[in-house]
Amino acid sequence: MWYKDKIHRHCEGRRPEAILKILFIVWVVLWIGFLARELFVKNNIRDYKNLLTRTLEGKHSYVTGDRLYDFLTYCKTTMPENSAYNIIGMDEGALESRKAVYYLYPNVKTADPDFIIDISQYTIKRVEE
Amino acid sequence: MELISLIATLMVATFIGFNVLYIVLGKFDKLSFSEAVFISFALGLGTISLEMLIFYLLGLTFSVPVILIPWTILVTINVYRHMKYGDGFTFSERSTIPKEKNRALSIFLTCGITLEVAYAFFRALIKPIEAYDAVAIYAIKSKIFFLAKAIPQNYFPGLVHGFPHPDYPLNIPLSETFLYLAMRNLNDQLVKLIFPLFFVGILCILYFAIRRFASRAYALLFTFLLASIPMFNAYAANAYQELPLAFYYFASAIFLFAWIKEKKDLHILGLSAVLVALAGWTKNEGMLYCVINASIVLFVSVLARKDTSWKVTIAPVMYVFIIALILAPWIWVKQRFGIVNDEINLFNLNPVYLFKQLYKMGPILYEFQKQLFGPKKWILLWPIAIYAAIFHSRKIFAPEQRYISISLILAFCGYVLFYMVSYVDVVFFTSKTWGRFMLHFLPLVVLWLAHMLKEDIKI
Repeated sequence: MWYKDKIHRHCEGRRPEAILKILFIVWVVLWIGFLARELFVKNNIRDYKNLLTRTLEGKHSYVTGDRLYDFLTYCKTTMPENSAYNIIGMDEGALESRKAVYYLYPNVKTADPDFIIDISQYTIKRVEE
Repeated sequence: MELISLIATLMVATFIGFNVLYIVLGKFDKLSFSEAVFISFALGLGTISLEMLIFYLLGLTFSVPVILIPWTILVTINVYRHMKYGDGFTFSERSTIPKEKNRALSIFLTCGITLEVAYAFFRALIKPIEAYDAVAIYAIKSKIFFLAKAIPQNYFPGLVHGFPHPDYPLNIPLSETFLYLAMRNLNDQLVKLIFPLFFVGILCILYFAIRRFASRAYALLFTFLLASIPMFNAYAANAYQELPLAFYYFASAIFLFAWIKEKKDLHILGLSAVLVALAGWTKNEGMLYCVINASIVLFVSVLARKDTSWKVTIAPVMYVFIIALILAPWIWVKQRFGIVNDEINLFNLNPVYLFKQLYKMGPILYEFQKQLFGPKKWILLWPIAIYAAIFHSRKIFAPEQRYISISLILAFCGYVLFYMVSYVDVVFFTSKTWGRFMLHFLPLVVLWLAHMLKEDIKI
């Protein structure tokens, strides 16, 4: 194959082991770099520090956003168990909306709700008969 | 207290898995002890979750003792068998290949692997389940099952349609439910412990698979490469199903290749079938691997048709039968309640439709090359794989790695077909999923690399 001859000619005199050794060193450098980037540039270390001292409830609140989580907790206490609700003010596919469905269960999201929850305004209203 | 209950329950699940492994394999002389432990762990979770689905079909509710009682029959059979025949519990001897030439490198690699493993556990356990699919698709299901102490009878006919992807298999949601039941609390932080365990399991199986043909330092090198891939480590902590699926498939492939070597031991092939069926019970993509493995078994049997041994003739039938048997309850439930995938229709798998979808090849290959050359997620894995494929192209189909190469090519083609028959916008779909799909066969790629570069690296 022409390309193989070309590559072999290009690499002539260099042992494959030497090439792989260089690749391994680059790998280790990148590995350390990406680890450091994740911890310090993306600032995950701040999250870890904040999460370490929190209870499970506090961690739920932190990963959801304290304000939204407090609001969802309020909704849960306001609605009688197994109520039907619908969410407005946010796209159904948004992560916050999915988390709301998760935290509010056994209350179920339906098109024929007892309560309307407006996530963008942090309000909950009973639907009039 | 919850952590102690969780660990004790995981040990019980592993013990059940160990009994399943014993009944399938009969002996452990081809496995190291650590491999047996991690395979038992995965088998335990997979079979217990299947049992919980059968509980639903029987109208039973869940509690830890009720879930565990049926397994006493299996344990009794195994104890009787062990007492009568005295076989089993002899694990494979240490590799005869010299330990290492390069002690400093081995120490460095061991430290690197340990760091990655510790980091995976830390990342998994520092926060509760919060990633998108993990919450929206899986955790919500385990919460429903835990609060009802059952799969509610109105779940499949109605409730499930209120959540995304009702057709996704329930292995991990039901495993999480089992652990919640053991902890008596919906602790969605501690339950994430299972994901780094799958991560360590994959590393362990990879290490021993390489150790069978290379030195300790060489096996450590490739185990380190896999462990240090950022994408792989991230998915060990986010409660997605990618690593459980990768584990089941990788383990099934290892046993499939072990069977192909001698084509004698149907027990090994049986174990491969059980594991790949559990891959199908973990994610829909697992069905692709069921088809790939079954096709390879059929192909090998046809190639060996001169071998008149009944063991070779019966192999494909047995393989498909085991997969069908394990997946039958789930397939039946899906058929019974008309639960279908809303993204892919396999009836579209016809030449006319596929021809019309050829325009998708551009975005599919574009996103694929973006993954190949994106060091942030994969460091240099794919460029090294390309290097190996170019410089050792003759070796690609050499006997030692022929079936690994074929499996990888089939997996790639399978995912391309998924994209072709999918209704979802191809640019959006590939950007969200290609990387995750590549995780499913990533451990096999690293094993393939270890075979390909064997003569280039002398350590």
